[in-house]
Amino acid sequence: MKKLVRILDGNIFALSEDNGDMVFSPTNPSGFFAFDTRFLSTWRLSLDGEQLHPLAVHEPNYYKIRFFLVPGHPTHYVDAKVSVIRDRWIADSAFTERLTVLNHTSEPVEYLLRVDVDSDFAPVYNVVWPHGSALRGYRDVSDGVLRLGYRRENFHRVADISSSEPAELDERGLTYRIRVDPQGRWTTTLRVEGRVLRPDGADVRERLRHPRGKVGTELPHDLSQWLAEAPQLYCDWESLCMTYQRGLVDLAGLRFSPLALPHETMLAAGLPWSATIIGRDNLLTCYQTLPFVPRMAATTLRLLALDQGTVLDDFRDEEPGKILNEFRYGEMAAFEHRPQSPYYGGADVTPLFIVLLDEYERWTGDGALVRDLEDAARAALHWIDEYGDLRGDGYLWYQPRNDESGAQNHCWKDTPESICYQDGRLPGLPRATCELQGYAYDAKRRGARLAREFWGDPAYADRLERQAEALKQRFNSDFWLDDGGYFALALGPDGDRVDALASNMGHLLWSGIVDPSRAAAVAGHLLGPRLFSGWGVRTLATGQASYNPLGYHVGTVWPFDNSLIACGLHRYGFVEEAGIIAESVVEASQHFAGRMPEAFAGYDRELTRYPVPYPAANSPQASATGATFLLLRTLLGLEPYGEHLVVHPAIPARFGRIELLNIPGRWGHKDAIGNGRATAR
Amino acid sequence: MSEAARAYFDGLAKGGGRMLRQVSGTVRFDLRYPDRVDSWLVSIEQGRIAVSYGAAPDADTVICADEQLFLRMTRGEVKPLPAWLRNDFTADGEFRFVVMLERLFAPPPDAHHPREVAARLHPHALTDSRQSASADEVPPAADGEPG
Repeated sequence: MKKLVRILDGNIFALSEDNGDMVFSPTNPSGFFAFDTRFLSTWRLSLDGEQLHPLAVHEPNYYKIRFFLVPGHPTHYVDAKVSVIRDRWIADSAFTERLTVLNHTSEPVEYLLRVDVDSDFAPVYNVVWPHGSALRGYRDVSDGVLRLGYRRENFHRVADISSSEPAELDERGLTYRIRVDPQGRWTTTLRVEGRVLRPDGADVRERLRHPRGKVGTELPHDLSQWLAEAPQLYCDWESLCMTYQRGLVDLAGLRFSPLALPHETMLAAGLPWSATIIGRDNLLTCYQTLPFVPRMAATTLRLLALDQGTVLDDFRDEEPGKILNEFRYGEMAAFEHRPQSPYYGGADVTPLFIVLLDEYERWTGDGALVRDLEDAARAALHWIDEYGDLRGDGYLWYQPRNDESGAQNHCWKDTPESICYQDGRLPGLPRATCELQGYAYDAKRRGARLAREFWGDPAYADRLERQAEALKQRFNSDFWLDDGGYFALALGPDGDRVDALASNMGHLLWSGIVDPSRAAAVAGHLLGPRLFSGWGVRTLATGQASYNPLGYHVGTVWPFDNSLIACGLHRYGFVEEAGIIAESVVEASQHFAGRMPEAFAGYDRELTRYPVPYPAANSPQASATGATFLLLRTLLGLEPYGEHLVVHPAIPARFGRIELLNIPGRWGHKDAIGNGRATAR
Repeated sequence: MSEAARAYFDGLAKGGGRMLRQVSGTVRFDLRYPDRVDSWLVSIEQGRIAVSYGAAPDADTVICADEQLFLRMTRGEVKPLPAWLRNDFTADGEFRFVVMLERLFAPPPDAHHPREVAARLHPHALTDSRQSASADEVPPAADGEPG
């Protein structure tokens, strides 16, 4: 994908060329997006019929951008007699652009300024996977507003475009005939409002008591407050500070208010292609960032509980008690071409819901939420046994029921080839991937604590603990490959071991299901030459038939994956190995200006010397951003213990001294300080 | 009022849907007929449901739908959320009750337990002797383990 500049506010965003133009073509992803719909696909500025070229692009913040432009081609513009400043921002759910024309001559000059406007109202899915989109809908000019609209039965989306200065409006855009004084300037502000209309003409969000975003002037203040409330980090290694600061700002940018909880905020999973609720990503990011910004976790848990599955529904792979995988508001979901309304095709999300609920209480002491969500949490635990354990053998399996538009793999590696044998064959269905068993084990143990301490049900707690122990015993024998000395990636439908060497078993350490006698062998593989690239642990090891350094789930390195692995290594006492991963991933992020990428290529560090970007990755991506935070927690060895925060630093020398001040939690605020050293076990 | 709507709301008042115990609030259904609108108020008090017929001044959420669409939703034939996305009915007030509407309605009639599907594909691999839940069966109100 070519490089586009972007601004965003949670699940609303705009992508354009570096001169600010959005140029429609079926494969060009630029546009203004909200509600999983592209509201603008053409937004092109010209001056006296000439296109403009950027001298500079300034991005003071995630929701604001400024382009300095001149007409003509690069060789001409040294003595430009006119320039244009294009200020663009997202506020109040609208896309706003202020155009300023500067006359640099000593004569008054007349200009013809034109903004071409159009839209295909494409569902975001069709922009990610180009389907030959075409301009669609109707155009209407009235009362100083150009309306682009798209209707399908009662489904109705419009983009209303208005201007602060008088403009000639036609169905294809706006024209200004202006005269600018010598050395003078002229300014107009254009506003594009994306609206989701009901048959009665009202905007659905306004009728749902949704504040439709924040007022423009409040945004900077909100951001500075967000940054001020987060713990302050000081580190001798500047790279960590840079990644941390970048991460805090990216988390702020990904916040949005869900329709069902309009006065709270949670995170969009990633920009631009996952600007929505994705259960797994939301839960994991909250887990990663709990010691830093704990409030989002409560909103996320409440929202996912509201959306919890209640019935069997094959199209959506829904079952009672299951936590959703993805929610979309666009045309594909509305007309059921795609199942995201919402889609439940993820077997990991439901146990992870319990994991986060327990971890949230351990950090914050918010027992009220645990009591509030008792029904939802019990239904989730029940789901594991009734719908997850679909062979009745105690393991968590998945068997997709939507073959046409659902995912084949109901785990984080959800692409079709990701769960494979060493020789590249794919197992049949159902499948039980190893990390799912770890999540189920962890969920049962954590559920037991909640049942005993908050729900007054020690008998249920005992039962969950017995189940967890039995699962651990059997897992360590059924999934273990004696020949390789590692855990199988999955069990196939006949109970056979799917033997690819993959990063998934790192999650097993995080969940605590690994028998201590096996942990050293697992750690050895994770840091060994086949899985560890030098920048991090690959999703799939070299030497596996499906390995591809650019394969999304079969060879790339994912920071979020690595953060869970490092946390797991630390849990089992492999602090040096955890430190190696933390150091290499933080170092990799420096090649992305401190922004932790969703994924990068799995080439050997010796081969490329720098981490090669994965071409279609989201940026920012919530769970990748969260990786920095979990790595930092791991380095400092932060752990809640009763009412106290325990700090057990194990920091590689490269980091020097790390100070994290004002860590919020049930203890109020505490500081954690550690010094880098050559660690020894 | 229509017999079909009355039968549904009577059943809801008796059966209680699948509402979570932590949920309280009111949902008014304004059912549109060619000649009139009938209003039904569903009051939820910590998951317990009561129903009354007739105009109610205010509710946390007001759902406005043609009776035919409404009845299809109550039978599980039309999923409420995508129907709302299509604007086939409108909601005023709190969106959380739109999300939870399905808890008041019957499950989709022709859905399968994943265990049935796995058993069909791999009958020999199954070790399970437990009964599969029937798709027609309405799960208990609080679907979790008994307390």
